[in-house]
Amino acid sequence: MKRIRRLRLLWPLVLLASAAGAPAAEEFSFDASAFEKKPFELGGYAQLKQEHFSFNRDAVFYRLGNFDQPQRDSLDRTTGTLQLAGKLRLGAGTFDFRTNSEVQRDQLAHDRDNRIFEAAYSIRPDPKLTLEAGKRVLRWGKGYAWNPIGFVERPKDPNDPDLAREGFVVADGDFIFNPGGELQTVAFTPMLLPVGNDVNSDFGASGHWNPAAKLYLLYRDTDIDFAWQGKGSRPARYGMDFSRNLASNFEIHGEWVRIPQFTRPVTDSAGRVSTETGNADSTLLGLRYLSASDTTYIAEFYRNGTGYSEEEFRQFYEFASTALAQYEQTGSTAQLQRALSLSQGSYGRPNAGQDYVYFRAQQKDALGIVYFQAAITAMMNRQDRSYQLTPELLYTGVKNLDLRLRLFLLHGDASTDFGEKPTSRKLELYARYYF
Amino acid sequence: MKKLLGLMLCLLALPAAAALDGNQVLQKVDRNLEPESYEAYRKLIDVQPDGSKKEYVLYTIKKGRDKVVALFLLPASDKGRATLRLAENMWLYMPDVGRPIRITSLQSVTGSIFNNADILRIDYTAEYNVEAAEEQKDAYLLSLKAKTGEVAYDRLKMWVDKQALLPVTIEAYAASGLLLKTLRFKDIKDFGGGIRRPATIETDSPLYKGYRSVMLWSGLKKASFADEIFTLNYLPRVQELRK
Repeated sequence: MKRIRRLRLLWPLVLLASAAGAPAAEEFSFDASAFEKKPFELGGYAQLKQEHFSFNRDAVFYRLGNFDQPQRDSLDRTTGTLQLAGKLRLGAGTFDFRTNSEVQRDQLAHDRDNRIFEAAYSIRPDPKLTLEAGKRVLRWGKGYAWNPIGFVERPKDPNDPDLAREGFVVADGDFIFNPGGELQTVAFTPMLLPVGNDVNSDFGASGHWNPAAKLYLLYRDTDIDFAWQGKGSRPARYGMDFSRNLASNFEIHGEWVRIPQFTRPVTDSAGRVSTETGNADSTLLGLRYLSASDTTYIAEFYRNGTGYSEEEFRQFYEFASTALAQYEQTGSTAQLQRALSLSQGSYGRPNAGQDYVYFRAQQKDALGIVYFQAAITAMMNRQDRSYQLTPELLYTGVKNLDLRLRLFLLHGDASTDFGEKPTSRKLELYARYYF
Repeated sequence: MKKLLGLMLCLLALPAAAALDGNQVLQKVDRNLEPESYEAYRKLIDVQPDGSKKEYVLYTIKKGRDKVVALFLLPASDKGRATLRLAENMWLYMPDVGRPIRITSLQSVTGSIFNNADILRIDYTAEYNVEAAEEQKDAYLLSLKAKTGEVAYDRLKMWVDKQALLPVTIEAYAASGLLLKTLRFKDIKDFGGGIRRPATIETDSPLYKGYRSVMLWSGLKKASFADEIFTLNYLPRVQELRK
């Protein structure tokens, strides 16, 4: 009985050892017939994530978010995620879906969230043509950390650029041509993104169809996209991107976007909010380099045309500090409500500044261990010199299991982008099992 | 006198006629390995020093000399990933990321000794020139030099079986002369349709001591595909091509 109990305690080790595989037999066999396409396929992953947040209680965004809450130095959060992805082949087309369910618990709250990330039906009468309708993620752009040209997608988290995101309900087509010669490929993707009270309501103002389109060219070994989104729920915008290998281990990419007559609220240190209107041009330039020792370097420079300058941010922080001081002294929330509204709007977006630099170095097979990757990521607001450093370890050596450990270290003076974030440090560990 | 002159001309012409045409051998190797356009399933097995293994299964299609797509069917963590190669351009599509990104030939999407250039291999004649060809007892030894700096391996030494005109061993070198890996072709199998080629390729590398990787072929057959399939826009849908 004792032995059985001992074995039960050892089950994680047993599982790990069996997943890693038994010693290799010298003979290998393979029969392709086991991999025929099935009418229904289901896969996905289950993930358990543990996070430890250390708060910067002096930061403006911490104080605004917790002005009426008990003050904390830290928080531990556990998140369980189940993501299901499936395909159902029906008639001439395919219905595919991706769902995301999360259960989250920390010392303050217990939340659940169930979302359909994608659910769309597509038909392909010909390799040249695909038509689809439903909820779909359409990701545009060549940038790794940022995609200003991603007109029809939810914002990317530069801390997790590869994470699946929720799509929008759209109807779109894809027309592909191969003219040959130096223009190797032409692909045109027109789409409609309707916004109503119950459909895509977080995209913008309701009552619009929101046409958009992308034209892709592969010209002389360079990927080029031209993208456009018509005026509707959001202001009209257009732009282009490119990507090209300069050598087998060196790639460059870029994006450029213009939003004509873009309006943004700007506050002064007294809380007087004015609206500024003008062309907002955003530019991204990046490179990816693989060294002979299997280190991948990614660097990106991002000029956010819709963002705030160091001086504009300084004035906002000053106003918010004044509003918080007034609340603490008098209990009046008049100024505070205005500061809160700005912090939850355009001032509180991720990377709401104007100039950012992103750098990532990742070493494959670090310390000589196959499937073990070490990486460090740095993100800096170039104007105020505040930054975030993220060392990371990832192990994928066990079949279908990813183990990732990351530490976020934020650094910056008062009235700077990363210096005023609510969190000063975050430790994150997750185990993700694919099935 | 005329007879003597004729004899001398014959003697002079003999070495030229008997000279080994390395380019012709390489062209034969290309076509004997695979039809120009085909579909196939491959299993990649990475064997670690402790004997543990990691396996990948890929569905692969190729058209012409330099268009290849490989779709991951296993393991679950990689399922749905698709890679596209058009000559020296390579892209990787990951379902979670939702858009293709450019990758390089020296990287490995699997993390194994087989890199992207091995997994998405196009015709040898599309990437290499034959610099020298030497006849040995049972094999031809071809010395190949990359046509451009974008090719994954600067030089290859290829031993080709004289009878079957199929590679037996390939050594891949960097421009510095460093041996990057050795590929060994084994287990010649009849795939039907006139295709008879090695069903197993093993590789090891002095850079990964104790590790080795194996590639097994199955279901290789001639097939034809539209050019539009070999495009970034089609990559997310490539799994619908399978029967």
